[in-house]
Amino acid sequence: MSDPVRAVLGQVLAVAIAIALGALVILAVGESPVRVFRVLFLGAFGDATKIAGTLLQTTPILVCGIAACISLRAGLFNIGVEGQLFMGGFAAAWIGFGFSLPPVFHVLLGLAVAALAGLAWIAIPAFFRARYGANEVVSTILSNYVAVLLTSYLTIFLFKRPGGWSETPPIHESAYLPAIFDFSRLNWGIVIGLALAVGVWFYFRATPRGYAITTMGSNPKFAEYGGIDIRRQGFAVLLVSGAVGGLAGGIEALGVHRRFMEGFAPGFGFDGVIAALLANGHPLGTIVTALFFGALRNGSLLLEVDTNASREIITVIQALIILAVSAQILMRRRADSTAGERRWKF
Amino acid sequence: MDYAVELKRITKRFGSFTANESVDLAVRPGEIHAVVGENGAGKTTLMNVLFGLLQPDEGEILIDGKPTVLPGPTAAIAAGIGMVHQHFKLVPSLTVAENVFLGMEITKGGLIDHRAQRARTAELSRTFGLKVDPGERVGLLSVGIEQRIEILKVLARGARIIILDEPTAVLTPQESRELFETLRGFVAKGMTVIFISHHLEEVMEVSDTVTVLRLGKKIATRPTADLTKAELVQMMVGRAVSFDRRPREKSAGAPVLAVERLWARDERGLPAVRDVSFEVRAGEVVGIAGVAGNGQTELAEVLAGLRPESHGRFRLGDVDLTGRSPAAIRAAGLAHVPGDRMVRGVDRHASVAANILMTRQDRAPWSRRGLIDWSYVRHRAEELIGRFDIRTQGPDAPVKSLSGGNIQKVVVAREFSGDARFLLVDQPTRGVDIGAQEAIHDEIMRQRAEGRAILLISVQLDELIALADRILVMFNGRIMGALDAEGVSEDALGLLMAGIAPEAVSREAAA
Repeated sequence: MSDPVRAVLGQVLAVAIAIALGALVILAVGESPVRVFRVLFLGAFGDATKIAGTLLQTTPILVCGIAACISLRAGLFNIGVEGQLFMGGFAAAWIGFGFSLPPVFHVLLGLAVAALAGLAWIAIPAFFRARYGANEVVSTILSNYVAVLLTSYLTIFLFKRPGGWSETPPIHESAYLPAIFDFSRLNWGIVIGLALAVGVWFYFRATPRGYAITTMGSNPKFAEYGGIDIRRQGFAVLLVSGAVGGLAGGIEALGVHRRFMEGFAPGFGFDGVIAALLANGHPLGTIVTALFFGALRNGSLLLEVDTNASREIITVIQALIILAVSAQILMRRRADSTAGERRWKF
Repeated sequence: MDYAVELKRITKRFGSFTANESVDLAVRPGEIHAVVGENGAGKTTLMNVLFGLLQPDEGEILIDGKPTVLPGPTAAIAAGIGMVHQHFKLVPSLTVAENVFLGMEITKGGLIDHRAQRARTAELSRTFGLKVDPGERVGLLSVGIEQRIEILKVLARGARIIILDEPTAVLTPQESRELFETLRGFVAKGMTVIFISHHLEEVMEVSDTVTVLRLGKKIATRPTADLTKAELVQMMVGRAVSFDRRPREKSAGAPVLAVERLWARDERGLPAVRDVSFEVRAGEVVGIAGVAGNGQTELAEVLAGLRPESHGRFRLGDVDLTGRSPAAIRAAGLAHVPGDRMVRGVDRHASVAANILMTRQDRAPWSRRGLIDWSYVRHRAEELIGRFDIRTQGPDAPVKSLSGGNIQKVVVAREFSGDARFLLVDQPTRGVDIGAQEAIHDEIMRQRAEGRAILLISVQLDELIALADRILVMFNGRIMGALDAEGVSEDALGLLMAGIAPEAVSREAAA
């Protein structure tokens, strides 16, 4: 059996085990697993509106997942996607409500500035990684907290909508990232996300730089020996990863909320990172895992209405899946590793 | 008399590939039995069958004359068999004694009895002449001592039949000699040693009996004393192979590499290369001899841009490359076969083709208009697989699926197929079998004939004598002397390698 086939089969098996365990938990709280999963499935895919809702939830997870994929490919771990998403979201909203610009240009500028904000936000961790070898995992995690609180501060103390809650004024209509259908808030962000996934996958496969990044992620010492400047390249990869994280925030701000507010995104950044990890850093695989998480989120909306199970059961199932899949990845990696070799530098 | 180990008609298949075909192996108690063969001859498979790691498809195993089934290593250990693998499996943060008893800790009241473990380790160490300090942390120790610990682990588990897989591949000559002393001590105590190697000098020196495998079949089992090295090679490779000095024409041209008063430090910050100056000319092979760890590795790393120099300079042609990046040095004409191929030389997870692509991914025709031409890469990889006789399923096979010698051929194929004017070749045949060794030597001589400047670093004197025009000997970071390789004696080299510099040994040759 070829390696990729085995990897995918392993992943599917792991998800099946997790769902079986989830069923036990549902039984334990006195609900029927069949009923819960049925409600979940119908809530996620039951009709066109539901599917659109699932895709709406999938969009930020997918874009954040691609951000994580980019860094993972180079053997780096940007776990600060959540922070970049907040920064990007705020920056895009600011462009949206603070300036009056022609329609298409307004959206594009908003998204570009969102990406720039994400890039700026990861620049410090990236610089310290490249210059001093400081572990980017720690510094990007920490920068998440700062981003959430900083955007909160900006929203409440500098840009609060008069009379409103902790939110900025709404953006001008010219800055709307348009919806695809009239029955859902699903917007062109999902198309951007899918295009990004395919583009990133192609870039890594087909371009010399993509090859250099892949090699660096697989064996940095070999890359260095082959003449690749791994510090500089690692710096650039982290910046791009941060920019994509920022873009995810821009899509949310201009396409969904049409403003920035406190609690802007309920953990999309982290879900994205996990989706990327479950797909083993593969951009196309991340489409599948992001869709899965999006479906769980959307399907769970009706769970408390239609069953006696709490919505938290979804968190439990998600956690079980993560556990099963990471155990499976770890087992596979251990099986083919040799002494002293570590693929990811945690 | 019963054999200590008898394998009868062992056949082991992996899919359509037959690794062992009806192989017999009979080992008498109290002998050192060498199993030799080229990479892929089936030595390791056979030993894994004996150690219970693989189940044979056909055939039987007799230990001390009794038919035995070995469903796993635990059963093999219970039957008195121990195996020292090529790659060590030690925990660096634990002490020697803790490593020896890992998984079978001596306990007292539920807690590990460290004192007893250390005492027992010291006792084993004394009994078998394997000098170690039981309380020392493994992370601080040299490879030679790590191997002793691996052997102690096997002894602590009560092994009487000890299998060593390529034990000398990682050792210095001095450490190898100490290992052989130890092995002779084992057989003197009535134990049995099975020893896998393709280093023939060692096989001739240490073994009592040799079994030769080729392409999964047993070719012969003979007393070592009845064989010459040439006969052994012929049986292994299936044809005559010569390791004599290669015939050559004087072809040294203009200086290509010039190194001036170079100094560099090792990981601990101590000077490892001291005041080294030399030149390598076009069409010339300059050898660097020395016991491993005398600054050769550091010198190579500086020249490749992978380690900063602390003083001095070096240039390729007219280009001063002191302190430049690996990319800049490669652009100026370096190709580099690194000493540690697994760490530096390849990406094990990537395909053979992707490994061949490295260093040229930005250049046409490998890539055009910003896109890699993978069909061209694959095509060139196939061509190099043919030219260098790389045993692989094809250009898309991951490098980790290849044997060590074939991985080395991938590295050599990549580095020798560019247009570099200077080849930095560090231990090109370490762990490589004889057929491949000969091919790599041929290739080095071909590169010399094409006018490339070659710096050949090797711990194997026969390799240097066969290939080099001049030999520089490094000791303690300095060049002790330079000798014309034509008619040089191993004794003269040996003295310099030991740091003894007779004034008679020509200083003028260094100039």
